[in-house]
Amino acid sequence: MVPAWILDIFAAIMLVVAAVSAARLVAARPWQREVRRAALADIDVAHLLMAIAMAGMLAASLQTLPNGAWSVIFAVMTAWFGYRVVRDAQVSGVRALAGGHCAPHLIHAGAMLYMFMAFTAPAAHGSGGMGGMGGMAGGMSGMGSLQLPLLAFLFALALIGYSIWDLDQLSGPGASGHYSLAAVRAVPTDPVLVGVGASAGPGAAALSPAPSVTMTAGPVAEPAAVAEVPPASGPADGTGVLAPWVATGCRIAMGITMAFMLVIMI
Amino acid sequence: MSEIAAAGVRPAWRSRLGSGAEVARGTPDVRRRLQLGLAAIWLLDGVLQYQSFMFSKGFSQMLAGTASGNPGAVASPITWNATLIEHHLVLLNSIFATIQLLLGIGIAWRPTVRLALAASVAWALGVWWFGEGLGMVLTSSASPVNGAPGAVIIYALLAVLLWPADRAGKPAPFTAARTVGAPAARALWLVLWLSLAYFALLPGNRAPQALNGMIAGMESGEPGWLAALDRGAASLVAHQGLAASIVLAIALVIIAAGVYLPTSAAKATLVLAIVVAAVIWVFGEAFGAIMAGGATDVNSGPLLALLALTYWPVRAAVTPPAHTAPALAHTAAADADEGTTVLWSPPGSWTSSPRSCSWSRR
Repeated sequence: MVPAWILDIFAAIMLVVAAVSAARLVAARPWQREVRRAALADIDVAHLLMAIAMAGMLAASLQTLPNGAWSVIFAVMTAWFGYRVVRDAQVSGVRALAGGHCAPHLIHAGAMLYMFMAFTAPAAHGSGGMGGMGGMAGGMSGMGSLQLPLLAFLFALALIGYSIWDLDQLSGPGASGHYSLAAVRAVPTDPVLVGVGASAGPGAAALSPAPSVTMTAGPVAEPAAVAEVPPASGPADGTGVLAPWVATGCRIAMGITMAFMLVIMI
Repeated sequence: MSEIAAAGVRPAWRSRLGSGAEVARGTPDVRRRLQLGLAAIWLLDGVLQYQSFMFSKGFSQMLAGTASGNPGAVASPITWNATLIEHHLVLLNSIFATIQLLLGIGIAWRPTVRLALAASVAWALGVWWFGEGLGMVLTSSASPVNGAPGAVIIYALLAVLLWPADRAGKPAPFTAARTVGAPAARALWLVLWLSLAYFALLPGNRAPQALNGMIAGMESGEPGWLAALDRGAASLVAHQGLAASIVLAIALVIIAAGVYLPTSAAKATLVLAIVVAAVIWVFGEAFGAIMAGGATDVNSGPLLALLALTYWPVRAAVTPPAHTAPALAHTAAADADEGTTVLWSPPGSWTSSPRSCSWSRR
């Protein structure tokens, strides 16, 4: 049996992720401006909900909603990110499926839905599956299992893959300077494309008809020919809790925790 | 749309929400991608180590079992270690799992890649002895089908071959040669695969029912479809131990020699290596027995496939000439050393291609 204190540590990490995601939502105030802005808050909303649900799954005392409610929430979330991935794929091609920023969230949401749908409580705890307090949590510490273990394994592999990729990208010089987490500055320049596709992967940069930009960061050489780089201007430009790396860090923490949960319930 | 291209026109709120430009991306080169594959496997191992079985006495008994058949000098420390773990099971297993988790994260996190790779070599060697009984290579029960010469020693080999440094001189013909040089890399490959061929021909493995028993033994605890797959494979090799061993050994010898062949033939043998690794992983190792709930790692199949990819011929990387924009060349070389492409490069400078990992002048 997995010791309860290990589950509690992971639950605490999820609570931190939930708090950070809530802080990001509050700081971004997506409800104040145009409609599009609210639509793009989906990432932090997803992080917030998933973190709360996972904390409840890991520690019975943190359970909030009935499992049926969570199943509905994650079914909707999966459908939403599925729609967004399809839309990305229509714009960016099949690379969006592998590298688009919505694809990891689709996998996260799908894994959550799978965990709630496929969980089988152990006989000793078997009182209607995961229903009620201590359902999933009781199952985890009492080692319930998941139906279709191959699916659990595949989800775990995908989650680990995305987490590793995120870690690499977060620590790369293209992300935020040489190993610092300072905000990257984007500078509009002439139409020469010098970057590489991010979500769409290598070679996708040429898809953009928009003016290109040069990414500069920290100690990377900045010859005089480059346009002057305006300083990052505080939280409004994505620093502090709104810094891009914060969202990615939350995603990494959730990906690893989710993989842990899937594997220990195989 | 490129994130970089998009960033210039994306409203501030979008990047604030982290939805589109969560991070600006650098595209890893081939070696970095392989390092990430290794990191993912370490991370998966760490997660597997948290399974409930590892917190039971079954884990320490499993470790103690690897002493069986080994010489006394090898077996005694294994037994001592297993006893120690049995007495401090929760604490030590938690530490083991966390170490492996950190190794995966450390390799994926670029500033710590060297530290993590070095630590992974030390850790792998320790596990190879204390956890796998030196892969049972000193016993008569080692077989390529059940993971010999020990999956964890391949982690160490990969860490060495994927070390983020380049030898001066001739361009490396494949990724594994970048650090240790082509002759040494080929020799390591040859030794590994020839040893597998040797193990395949051990008397215990070429007995009529040896392979059948090995595959059938993997059924226990597996999901129905996988158990059925194992049963089918086991029935195919029933009473065919000698023939199956010879066929397997021939394939392994061909693979071993493959890296010395011309490029097209080498590629064919590397594909064969990946196919053999996949067959071993699916039928001989039942996906590392992960779905049975008691696996400490993924076993040797995926690692052999990853190793084969490190020997895949690549177009050689060329260091940019020092007289061209010295400051940039320095930065580019540093980035290339870390296994990344260069994001900033003005027209006319040298830049790396994300597709070929080669240098070209724009």
